[in-house]
Amino acid sequence: MSLPDQLESTFSPEEIQFIVENEPIRIFPRVTTRKTKRPLPMGGGSNESVRWKLITTDDHNVNNMVAMQSTEVTLWLALLLKQQNKCSIVAPSWLTLKELDRSIQYEKTHVDRFCPVPWNWLVLAQVLFKRAPEHFHDPVHELRAKVQDLREIRQLKVLRGLRHLNESHLQLDNLSLLEINELRPFIVDVMDKLRQLHTAKGTMEDEEEE
Amino acid sequence: MGYYDVDDILADSAEFSCKFQYDMPGLGYLAGNPGRAIDKNARLDLPLWLARILAIVGGSEDEDDAEEAVPFVELLPAEIFSPKVINAIKADPTSIDLHSISSHFLALSLKWIALFGDEELASICSSLTLARALEINAHASSVNFVSTAELASPFLLTLDESEKKLYRTSHESYKEHKRWMVER
Repeated sequence: MSLPDQLESTFSPEEIQFIVENEPIRIFPRVTTRKTKRPLPMGGGSNESVRWKLITTDDHNVNNMVAMQSTEVTLWLALLLKQQNKCSIVAPSWLTLKELDRSIQYEKTHVDRFCPVPWNWLVLAQVLFKRAPEHFHDPVHELRAKVQDLREIRQLKVLRGLRHLNESHLQLDNLSLLEINELRPFIVDVMDKLRQLHTAKGTMEDEEEE
Repeated sequence: MGYYDVDDILADSAEFSCKFQYDMPGLGYLAGNPGRAIDKNARLDLPLWLARILAIVGGSEDEDDAEEAVPFVELLPAEIFSPKVINAIKADPTSIDLHSISSHFLALSLKWIALFGDEELASICSSLTLARALEINAHASSVNFVSTAELASPFLLTLDESEKKLYRTSHESYKEHKRWMVER
């Protein structure tokens, strides 16, 4: 393929964001899209004209929004609705000053492991900070600083862990997609070299055994 | 690695000194005097792709039931893996100038190990690769958007070709992600 090298070997951050935008998030709609008073049975064949038809995602929730009743939609849709002032986004529970502080504490006390944040925490935080900063309870600049702190602590740990790279396996518990993606070209290359050295060493022994 | 890999081809054409174990009539052009023969025990620098085949394939004058055929050439201990170099690697992998020893040092060591099954060299090269990779990572992860003229640290000039590629790809990735983080 005629793709640039870096796109062939790993995802670009924009691609990661695209993947993450397909994840559900909780919102408070400000508009009502539900037609009947009573909720429609799931998948029930309603004769009414459907106002939204989404091919890429489940459109049940979108067609059944009631103002100020929280529901879950995919992130990209939430951002779109938010842009038109049709909903407010509920920040995920881990994205508060208190929870971030707890995560940072966890990172500090457990030197050899990462705290269990969602796999998309970094992307989600960045996207929400940019697109929906007014929907947080805590001041955004403080949250931003905390997220940055958390990221830096984890990066430092990753660097320390790289010392133990070997030819066969690597454990990356609780590392998020973006963090792994950033390191992927490096780790893959190094592990591949180590593997080649390992197999080169092995070929001779195999021949002797035969 | 691969048919179209230029670095692989270049690495394969690196020359190693060999000793001929037979009189080779008509092969004098390898030594620069065409038409003549190469004498037994003559020493000659041959590219690895040729030396490898000649060192594996053997022939014997009285064909038939030669139980263990002596190969055409014997590969002499390579200069780039001499004790001097090995000791320098053992002393400090990050301060050795691989590029000046051979610009395809790691690729060559890989071929060498495959040829001789040299376990000691393999373990030395593993630790060399890893130690230098960590150093490369440290350089690659320092992304600076402001100044385009990068201060080339002396270490970056000592990288061999495969390490340069590693530096390039990982630096590219770090830069992309930093850019994404900043622009949000």
